[in-house]
Amino acid sequence: MWRQEDLMLYEYDALSSLRQPDVVAFPRSTEHVVQIAKVALRHNLPLVARGAGTGLSGGSVATEGGILLVFSRMKQILEIDLENQRARVQPGVVNLDLSLAVADEGYYYAPDPSSQKACTIGGNVAENSGGPHTLAYGVTTNHVLALEVVLPDGEVIHTGASHWDRPGYDLTGVFVGSEGTLGIVTEATVRLSRKPEAVKTLLAIYDKVVDATRTVAAITARGITPAALEMMDGFCLRAVEEATHAGYPMDCAAVLLIEVEGLKEAVEEHADEIEAVCRENQAREVRRAKSAEERDLLWKGRKNAFGALGRISPNYYVQDGVIPRTRLPEMLDFIGSIEKKYDLRIGNIFHAGDGNLHPLIMYDERNREQTARVSKAAKDIIMRCVEMGGSITGEHGVGFEKSDLMPLIFSDDDLELMSRVKNLFNPLGRLNPGKLLPTGKMCGELRGGLAGGGPV
Amino acid sequence: MTLAVDSVRADLAALVGPSHVLAYPAACVALAVDGKIPDCAVAPATAEEVAAVLRYASEHHLALIPRGHGTKLSMGNLARRYDVALSLRELNRVSHYEPADLTISVEAGMTFGEFQNLVGRNGLWLPLDPRGGAESSIGGIIAANAAGPLRQGFGGPRDMVLGLKIATTDGKVAKTGGRVVKNVAGYDLGKLLTGSFGTLGVIVEASLKLFPKPPERATFTMRAGTLGIARDLRRSILRSPVDPMRLVLVDSLATALLGDSAQAHERLGAELWIEVGGSHRVIERCERELRQLASAVGAPLARLEGAEEAWEHVSNLALWLQHKYRDVTLLKAALPVVASEEFLSHAQQEAEAERIALASFAQVGVGIVHLCALQETMSASLAGWVTRLRQAATDLGGTLVIEHCPVDLKSHVDVWGAGGDDLAAMRKMKYAWDRKEVLVPWRFVGGI
Repeated sequence: MWRQEDLMLYEYDALSSLRQPDVVAFPRSTEHVVQIAKVALRHNLPLVARGAGTGLSGGSVATEGGILLVFSRMKQILEIDLENQRARVQPGVVNLDLSLAVADEGYYYAPDPSSQKACTIGGNVAENSGGPHTLAYGVTTNHVLALEVVLPDGEVIHTGASHWDRPGYDLTGVFVGSEGTLGIVTEATVRLSRKPEAVKTLLAIYDKVVDATRTVAAITARGITPAALEMMDGFCLRAVEEATHAGYPMDCAAVLLIEVEGLKEAVEEHADEIEAVCRENQAREVRRAKSAEERDLLWKGRKNAFGALGRISPNYYVQDGVIPRTRLPEMLDFIGSIEKKYDLRIGNIFHAGDGNLHPLIMYDERNREQTARVSKAAKDIIMRCVEMGGSITGEHGVGFEKSDLMPLIFSDDDLELMSRVKNLFNPLGRLNPGKLLPTGKMCGELRGGLAGGGPV
Repeated sequence: MTLAVDSVRADLAALVGPSHVLAYPAACVALAVDGKIPDCAVAPATAEEVAAVLRYASEHHLALIPRGHGTKLSMGNLARRYDVALSLRELNRVSHYEPADLTISVEAGMTFGEFQNLVGRNGLWLPLDPRGGAESSIGGIIAANAAGPLRQGFGGPRDMVLGLKIATTDGKVAKTGGRVVKNVAGYDLGKLLTGSFGTLGVIVEASLKLFPKPPERATFTMRAGTLGIARDLRRSILRSPVDPMRLVLVDSLATALLGDSAQAHERLGAELWIEVGGSHRVIERCERELRQLASAVGAPLARLEGAEEAWEHVSNLALWLQHKYRDVTLLKAALPVVASEEFLSHAQQEAEAERIALASFAQVGVGIVHLCALQETMSASLAGWVTRLRQAATDLGGTLVIEHCPVDLKSHVDVWGAGGDDLAAMRKMKYAWDRKEVLVPWRFVGGI
């Protein structure tokens, strides 16, 4: 694909519109990818892999042009082995489709990014994607066991194994989360999890944000690890409720959406204990989903929240900082002060249990002065995360957007180790150039997030 | 070694202080690996000193073997070069601990026992039962990615490491990851170092994810009779609502050893040991479920009191069995879960043919099978046995490594087995980190 109007479709991801590739290729097999890699090598062109383009850090956009490899034609589930709890898939398989394929047998694929209806396993592997249920079950890297990878020179290697403890270096663990800068994944073997016997979903409603944030560490301090522990503030809630009618209260300051899973007895006990902790922390009300439909509706509200916010603001910017969960009350206060300082509207909807923040800053890209303030606010928030001993990204990846923020948390020596690994697999730097590692051009700056483009 | 031993000792003493360099012959003998004795031992007190020692070794082409408490050093091919033992024991401080965040950062030399005591005061633990047990060090557990039977319920060190501080052979201290529970900034070099057996860099500090300890635990045993019954039980347990923390199939000799009645083992059969954790009600429910599964195949179920000591033996097989037998060979097969029983059956036949007394401990829920050959056997016939078993494991889609064996067996068989099509990439990785081959030369996969 090379016509201007076709290429336009691939100039953006969920971060923003950045740049068009020179050509888009749709491989059908590993062999195609090998051949395309060789073409890219021969012509010294950038080679960028892309799944569904739902990424939030610009990782799948060919920011320096070149060949974009789109995996929409490699979407076969190659093998499902329930007794071993494994599946072997091509990179274009949609995350949710894998779970659906094994649902009847009582299994699922645990990592569940909010974009799971569209995003692909290949993209998840590249970004080491998370989701609401990573609190108990871990992120993508904890569920990927083996990979087939095409290196930039066209060599194909197989890392890991479908069983545990293959001797040698854990290259699978290095490739997961490497954002397409080390190799192109053409096949992944992943772990399938057993569906729990019982699930209970609670909605704790608060009149003060600080009470909701205090509850988070209080729950884990009781020795309970919920399967999910999400927070939404009143502003986001109202937008979500208007869009989805999930039954969220319109007049509160914040809610916690808490899910416990496991053996029936454990779930009942944990739900009771969590309810007590919520009430000790001034929850106005604690509701329990009475049916699977009610539960689905609550989650639909949460997972479609970004879309709902798109209805009320022309643009928004989502930040992905992480802090220790005990610092949440302090951090939410800080975000409130940033909102005032820059005269912006900031919504908060995030994975509270992990301390993984997603402040959503509303803006209108046509207002350039406001857009500049958004950029400053986002930077202030990420700086505060770093000061608290946190990270610049919990699940969205470094990508194009944050590569110049890496020096905030990594020293030159730390980055040099990463460069060593990159140079080993991608010595010419033509594989997804300009991503993950600092470009050295604009140290400490966010890139691309506010360049325009629409909300998803 | 190109330098005179005395000048190496003097140079190292200048780097870390004379009291941190050991050169008494007796002390060095105790640090031997595969019977090879180092010229001296150095125990730096800070990460920077570790890095300085590494740089020195790199400049002078010395071979170094890092060690925490030495509990896993029998793993690896024959140590052909070994000049200096690098002990991490003095690095044992806590650098950050916030119980409510369920995270901790500790230096690599802290013993696992001390670590568990520390976090245990807050009702937390690192759910691992590694080889070496309480004696092993945090750094060593990570370097060996040492997981025991608790892997069934919690995964391995790989899943618990949030970040690492690493001393490199160019004399630097660098970090990877962080200390928050969710973090995707940069390459996950923590995964690379976990299980690298000290061959890339030296882990000097680790940030780890902690877990709340289950309020109660209970161990149940099921008499399995035949491997066929054991397989049916494994299937039904893994499909049941019970989520075991540990699940191990012990054969009749292993059962007898654990019960300390080696003479009576003919009468006992293989047993499945299942440990569950949770509240009192949860454990009662698990017992009901397991009883039902057991009675469906006519296998008696019993609750085992005081199982903790037996579990310690199972996770620490080499050390435990060495107290009872002079020469122990311990193999670990890692297999697809479905293949565990078939492999065991094969191993038993092979052992009978070679007249090898075999005790097996199989983590059947995760496909990890430990085989222990218990008496002195000629290395040549042991080597044949290992090679045939390795082939059997490979045919079933798995791998087989030697965890512990008499040193001379290592001249006959590779400890790790053959590498795959990613071996070249691994070699390049080694070269990128340690081009002078200072760290644990030749002991790892493919001669790395």
